[in-house]
Formats: sequence, C-alpha cells, structure tokens
Amino acid sequence: MKEMSQYGMGTWNACFHCGNCTAVCSLTEEGILFPRKEIRALQMGLEDKLATSVEPWLCYYCGDCTETCPRDANPGELMMSVRRWLTAKYDWTGLAGLFYKSLSALIIAFVLVAIGIVAMGFVKDFNSEAVMYFGHILEFYLILTVFTIILIPNILRMFYFTVIKAKVNAPFGSYIAAIGNLITHMFTQVKTLKCDKQTVRWLEHFLLVMGYLGLLVITVFLDWFGTENQIIIYMGYITGGLVFVFTFLLMISRLSKARELNKYSQPTDWFFIIWLFLMGFTAFLVRLFIDIDLLNDHFWIYMVHLIVVSQWGMLLVPFGKWTHFLYRSFAVSFANLKKAALIKKLATAA
Amino acid sequence: MTGIIFTKVDNGYSGALDYNELFFYAKGIPGVGPVWYSTDVPLYDKQAMADLIKEQQLKRIVVAGDTPGMVKPFLTGAMVIAGNNPEDVVLASFREYGATDNTKIDRAKGILFCIALGVTFAEAALPEETDVQPDTLVIGGGIAGIQASLEIANGNQKVYLVERTGTLGGHMAMFDKTFPTLDCAACILTPKMVEVGQHPNIEILTYSEVKGVTGEPGNYKVKILNKARRVDLATCIGCGICTEKCPAKAPSEFDNGTTLRKAIYIPFPQAVPNKYLIDADSCTYVLKGKCGVCVKVCPVEGCIDLDAKDQEMEITVGNIIVATGFKPFDAGKIERFGYGKYPQVITSLELERLINAAGPTEGNIHFRSQDKKGNWIFSVESGMPKSFAIIHCVGSRDENYNKYCSRVCCMYSLKLAHLIKEKLEDADVFEYYIDMRAFGKGYEEFYERIENEGIHIVRGRTAKIEERNGRLMVRSEDILNDQLIEQEVDMVVLSIGLEPREDAAELAEMLGISTEEEGWFTEANYNTDPVNTFVGGITIAGVCQGPKDIPDAVAQGSAAAARVLQSIVKGKIKKSIKDMPLEKIEEKAKQFSNSMEGKS
Repeated sequence: MKEMSQYGMGTWNACFHCGNCTAVCSLTEEGILFPRKEIRALQMGLEDKLATSVEPWLCYYCGDCTETCPRDANPGELMMSVRRWLTAKYDWTGLAGLFYKSLSALIIAFVLVAIGIVAMGFVKDFNSEAVMYFGHILEFYLILTVFTIILIPNILRMFYFTVIKAKVNAPFGSYIAAIGNLITHMFTQVKTLKCDKQTVRWLEHFLLVMGYLGLLVITVFLDWFGTENQIIIYMGYITGGLVFVFTFLLMISRLSKARELNKYSQPTDWFFIIWLFLMGFTAFLVRLFIDIDLLNDHFWIYMVHLIVVSQWGMLLVPFGKWTHFLYRSFAVSFANLKKAALIKKLATAA
Repeated sequence: MTGIIFTKVDNGYSGALDYNELFFYAKGIPGVGPVWYSTDVPLYDKQAMADLIKEQQLKRIVVAGDTPGMVKPFLTGAMVIAGNNPEDVVLASFREYGATDNTKIDRAKGILFCIALGVTFAEAALPEETDVQPDTLVIGGGIAGIQASLEIANGNQKVYLVERTGTLGGHMAMFDKTFPTLDCAACILTPKMVEVGQHPNIEILTYSEVKGVTGEPGNYKVKILNKARRVDLATCIGCGICTEKCPAKAPSEFDNGTTLRKAIYIPFPQAVPNKYLIDADSCTYVLKGKCGVCVKVCPVEGCIDLDAKDQEMEITVGNIIVATGFKPFDAGKIERFGYGKYPQVITSLELERLINAAGPTEGNIHFRSQDKKGNWIFSVESGMPKSFAIIHCVGSRDENYNKYCSRVCCMYSLKLAHLIKEKLEDADVFEYYIDMRAFGKGYEEFYERIENEGIHIVRGRTAKIEERNGRLMVRSEDILNDQLIEQEVDMVVLSIGLEPREDAAELAEMLGISTEEEGWFTEANYNTDPVNTFVGGITIAGVCQGPKDIPDAVAQGSAAAARVLQSIVKGKIKKSIKDMPLEKIEEKAKQFSNSMEGKS
C-alpha cells in the first residue's frame, strides 16, 4: 500500500467493496473483472496477485468508476498507479521503478544525457554536418538497442508474469488469434470506443499516435533532415505538426482538469507529454530552419532537438509511460488467452 | 497535576471547532499542567508515554476531542506502567455534549473545564428551573407524534397536534406491512389515529403549519397557520359526492403518485379527520375562477366554501415536541438508475402502495402504463411483471449523495421481496446489497427466513440500469461468486433512503435548536439524553433526529412524552443549557470540585 502510493494518488483504503466500479465499467466482462479485485489485492497486500494480473492494462481510464464511487476511493487512479507499478515490475533493470519513485533521479538522468550530447557536440566542434550525421546514426542504434535490450526482455517478463505465472492454460489456436488482435490494438486502440463518451478522446489519441509513428519513420528511416524529396518533407511537417498540436491540447486538458482522468498528474506524466511536444516542435523548427536556410546560424536548435530526442529515447521510451504502447497491446492479447483458457476450462468442466 | 491531550480530527468541514483557541484556553484551567496535541506525544509507545507521565508528575489525563475514546486504551496502559490509576484517564468528548462546530466553542470550553476539574459537564451545566405552562405542542402527525400525543393526553394533559397534510398518519400509513413481524401497518396505525381523533385532550390541527415561535422555555407563544381546507370540518358528513363529480385530477400524495386523485378529496379512506379537503393547486375554481361543481352537489348547505382564506392562530404552550419525520430520497437524482426515464423503474414507496390492498392496483403488482391523457400511472389493466430486481442503498452510503446509512432500507427491501413472492409465487426476485444490516431483534432471523424463500440475494452494488430487449438490464458484480451479472428483469425497485425535510433547518432556526451536518436535529446527549435538545422545553422524536424504524420512532415518542410529563407534574422546567454562560459553568464546576475535595 505504501509503495503503491508512491506511484499515484490513492485513497484506496476507503473502499468497502460494493462492486460498483466493476459493474459500471464498460470494458469488464465475464472472467475479466476490475478494478475492485485489484483494490482487494492491494488492501490485502497480495503483491503476486497484482503482478500477475493483466487487467490494469485493459482499463482506458474513462473515469466512470471514480465519478460514481460511493466512497471516493478513486479506483480509476488506482488502475493508473498499478500500471505505473507494473511498468516498474516488468522492467528488469529496475530503472523504471527508480524514475517513478524519485523525481530527482529522473532529473539527474535527464541532465546527464543532456551533458553527454553537448559534450559530443563539443568534440565534433559543433560542425553541423558531422553532428547531424552522428545524431542520425545515434537515433538508429538507439531504437535497435532499446528494443533488443530493454523492451523485448520486458515484454517477455510481462508474458511470464501474466500468462505463465498466472497459470493461464490457453489452447494453441488462441495464440495465433492473439497475434492478430495485437497488431490491431497496437495501432488503433479501438477498445477505447467501447467506453462511454470517449470517441473524441480516442480520435485525439489516435491522431497523436499516427503523428508520432509517422514522425519516427520519416526522421529516422527516411532521413527528413537530409532528404530533398518534397513529399517526405511535407509529410514530415504534417506529422510533426500533429504531434505538437495534440500534445498541446493534452497539456491544456491536464491543466484544466475537466476530465476525471486528468485530475491527478504525476511528474512522469508531465515529462512524457512535454517531451513529446518538444520533440514534435523542435523537429518542425529544425526542418523549417533548413528550408529557410537559417540552420547554420542557429545550430543550437538542432542541438536542443537532439538532446530532447536522446532523453526521450534513452529514458522515457524504455523506462517511462511510452511502454504503455506495448504493454497495453500485448495485454489485450494476453487477456484473450485468458478468456480462451476460461472457455476451455468451462468446456472440460461441462 | 492534570495533563490534557487533544486528539484533533480533521473532518474537513468548515466551521469545525477551533482547536488552537481551545488549546490556549486549556492552559489556563486551574490545576492543568502540560497541554499537548496527540501528535506531540508518543501515544502508541506505552513505555515512552509512561516515562513522560512520570516526568511531568501527572496524576490525571484528560483526552479531549470529537471522538477521544479511540486513543484511551493506549493511555490507560501507560498510566498503569507509570504506577497511576488507569481510571484517571478521562474523556472530554465535545461531540457527545453537542459542541459540534465553532459556534459552540464556549460549550466546548465548558466541557473541557468541567472534565479537567473532575466534574461532569451535565452536573455543572444544569440550568435553573422556571415555571411551565401545562399545554404541549406536538409538531408532526406521524407515528412518533401520534405516540407522544397519546402518552401526554392519557396523562390528562392538553396537546395540540399540528400536521401539515390533510390527515394524520405520516409515512407509516403508506406502508403495507411492517418488518420483521409482517404485521399490517394500517391495522396498527389507524386505531391509534382514531384514538387521537376522539381524544378529548388532543386538539388536532391538520393542514396547518408552525409559522413562528417566541417566548422562553416553559412559556412559548406559537403562531400556527391554518391553511384553507375549503371544507368545513364540523359539517362535512364525508359522503363523497363532491369527489365523484369533481372534474380536476392530480397525482395522489398518499399513493405516492402511483394513481390520480380528484382536486377535492380525502387522502385515504381511514384518514383522521375523515373529512374532505380541496387542493388549491389543482382545483379548477381556484385556478380559473369558475366551476363550483362540488358546492352544487354538496348536500350540506355552506359546508364547502371555495373562497375560504388561510387563517392564523396563536397558542401558548410550555413544551414542544418536534416529530417532523423525513423526506424520501429523490431517486431521479441518480441518472444511472434511470428513474423517470424507464417507466418500470419504481421506488420502494411506490411498490408499498402497489402491494397494499387499498392501493391503486388492489394489491396486485402491475406495470406502470399511460392513461388516456398521457399520465404515467399504475392500473389493473396493464400486465404483471415476472421478475424483479431490488436495489439497496439508493442515495445512502454514497459520498455523492448521502454518506450515512438510512438504516431501514435493508429490512424493508427484504420485506418487499417477501411480499412480491407472496403476490406472485413464480416471480424471480434479485436483491443487490452492499452490506446486509439486520440490526434489531428478530431481524437477522427475518433475513435468514427471506433468503430461504428462494430470493436471490446478491452481494454487489448495482452500477447501472439499461434497457435491453424491451426489459431492464441490471449490471452488478456478484462479489461472493466472482462474477459479473447482467440480469434482465421486468421491474426494478429502488430502495430509497431517508433525508431530512427540506425545511428542517428553517424549523430548527425558529425553535433555536441545532442540526447536524446532514440536517438531522441534534439531541442533547447522544447516549444518555436522546430526545432533549439544548433548548429547554423542546424535545425531538422520530426520524427527524436521525433515520430509524417504527419501533424506535415509537420509543422516542414515548420518551419525549415522559420528559414533558415530568415537567408538567413538577410544575417546573429547566431553562436552556445553551443559554448557560461559560463563566457560570466555570463557577459551578469550581464549587462542585471544592465540595468534592472537602468530602475526600
């Protein structure tokens, strides 16, 4: 309980287990019950039970449960906090947990990365071509390393926790089906639409994801800053614009706290959203400066962009909120395995 | 030396007691040494606490706060280790003596002063006595008011019983059966109503309201508004021809809107007084200036006066009993339950009327349907539901509505489930509860009995009700069976909770008594003085003091009457505790304290 309160704002001891949250949720179904069971596990200190549950990832935080909770126990925020805790749990390096729990550790890491990038620039004499070449290679290898060393092992750990350790005995066929819906959910998050009144939010999020992925492909694999191809250049502007416009909107709603899910923001939420904004914005500026021939005089803007990208790629992607992109999509698949296992169990019982 | 420890509870509402002020006041009380907040002392470490007690040479410890009893066990332990008498840990409970907010800070100081000197507050704050007028006013003609009136009147004392509606009876008259004995509510109540109606010592003032109270304990002048009934009580013979011919209709208050009544009507057949009245809000003559059918058909000349005006009267009484009851929770406030949107979602009070043999459907449960004019009513012409869901805690135990438990809903829900089964043997009945509160004599047995009658009792609060396949889908978690239930039923019954009346605060101000955060009237002492208030001569009885069931309301009615009779027999009444100045309490406490020392 104490540990969990480091991951979010919790009044979960207030819960008297009426089951309202589970029943009011549009995403719960037979065999997939949350959030009350998670609160129970938390109150009783059943760490293993929580660690092996896939349910927290299935919640899209529409806020219905928190709004209607008769005890103001805030179950929606609990699910958010458990997701943060699970992110730390899956991460074999332990850094995710450290960054969630200690803001100073996170800031120190950010400063170190920034110093590293500036030092690199210093070594290369701030020669624009050399630095930009280095930056491009860095991005490329960064993605490769983060995936192979951090993210893939962490996904395997998640699989171990939620399927093997949870003793989910699903038939083989369901694994193949699970891969199919993994792809759909990773890129569309269609499940959000099952929640009440969440269409606008889903559209915002969908466009942001599309913008982000587009920008990633265009800068890293299509070399936006180096290309002469007009189509790629325009596509870059569009995707960069999408990213910073929608992150800006998200920042406003977090500040105004109009939606239930925006009422409690952790420092890590702010880092995630501000860095995403900065990434889109600085990328946009860099390309703009190239096009109007100002970059050589204002090379600092590229340095800023590279610092932001490196902090993003080295810290926020592997150890932060970014991982929900993977965990959520895999969770949908794992939950389907769980359902298949349940059906199989019922069939054998009958 | 005496030490004082404050246990400060941050209950989060504005106007709470100013503990800083109390803290400094406490330092100045004679014989008091150290004063702490509970956070300043090692409360949970008995050895360290004992060392502190020895170091400060404390012989007594006063624990002060809203609910100081919670920390007492830690301190008694420490006192024993320190070699003192554990009984010298004493509590100064502000809440117990009604010092609930900062307007009563002087009372809190008085409590603190008395306890610190080893004197009980009730002793020191005992007000002086004064002469008392023998007549009594009872406000509210429900079961509590009826009981109190009868007790006093049977003691040969005069009672004025003021009731706002056209008849005595209150909410109990609407109920079909009582729990857990399943007695017919009307069969218990109506004889009492008739007794009140015929009692020579009781003057019934129905269709009347208390408009102002002046004077002082023992001698109150009460202004009463007699609303125009437009039918003369003395000459009306109750033949009912007027009602038969009256063209205007309105929803029946007594039947809770489940059917319509005429503009000239009798609330229900056993009403006391058993006379007709005209509802000005629906009467065609009053609204449009022409009609007068009732006057034409009435066999008694001059009985109906459509132009009658409201009148005021003033009475002098020595005691006032407040028994104003409650208001049912408005189920429409919770949108997710669809009350007002889905016609087959009904309230428990509506079901009571349906089940009642004298109700709109002659005691059978029918669907709600529209009449020719489009009014939603219950009639015997529509079909009967085959499955029911009863949802507990509607508007109760919910931070978004009322935090408190309404106390009666669990039991009346079980009763309703039983009554449904009695009427429709093959019906499926599902009950959704949070916790089953069967708190009284025979209640747990009643719960067991109902459970064995084949009613599906599900632990899990219903979250929402939606329309599905023309039926109602009730979505809940079945916590004990680890399932999610989407149950389709024909009719949903919402077990609504109890709320203070909307004008309770107004009445409290008129009488000078206090209300709690939720709006219930505050008693003088929660444990030992539950019907008195801090104002001399004003007692409270029934649900207006807090949610309770019929037996408890009756008991309070009798208790309040005992207080009144006590003062009348003695001819003297105590003045208000709230008017005792702090200096006087301090002075008296010192006197008592000195005389006690003298003895020992």
